Amino acid sequence: MEMTEKIEETARELGARVRPQIEEAKRRFTSMSDSATTYIKANPGKCLVGAIAVGFLIGKIASRRG
Amino acid sequence: METRAENPPNGRAAGDAASAKKLGKRMEKVGHTAEQVWDRTRDSFSDFGDALDVKGRVDRHPFGTVAAAIGIGYVLGGGLFTPLTARIVRLGVRIGVRLAVLPLLKQEMAELVGEIEGEEDGKARATSKRTRTRGDEP
Repeated sequence: MEMTEKIEETARELGARVRPQIEEAKRRFTSMSDSATTYIKANPGKCLVGAIAVGFLIGKIASRRG
Repeated sequence: METRAENPPNGRAAGDAASAKKLGKRMEKVGHTAEQVWDRTRDSFSDFGDALDVKGRVDRHPFGTVAAAIGIGYVLGGGLFTPLTARIVRLGVRIGVRLAVLPLLKQEMAELVGEIEGEEDGKARATSKRTRTRGDEP
């Protein structure tokens, strides 16, 4: 019984320690996504041309390997 | 005194002036045509842009539009018929099957099991009724 209680306690402590970090990571991810969306909406031409260029490069690399 | 070069004989000066005028007119015409071509090209490009509605699309689905642009670039870069594409398609199909077909299969199985259980219950009730009625007989 003591062993199970210890394991439960450790798991609880670990959860309490990790939860804030997960929350922080979630918050950071959301803010990054928001700023990326804002940037794309502000500069659609730049972003689309850049995306086409990136896709072109990936396609070139894939075709060379294949 | 006039030199020969300034005033050549045989009415050459008049001919030169006429040809210069012609050339000027031609140049003007070419310039006008180029302007027209430029205007038409610009109009057709703006029409194309309006038809595509790039700005609206980016406003509605920013990440989707960027992903589509990457896909267009990938195809233009010659990556369409490559092992990487095959791998991506296979992964997509696998995920699609998991997301779309498996819940349907689960539902079907659940319905089938429910029907089988219902039938078995019905049979069991029928047999118990029969035994009861036989037992009640005098």
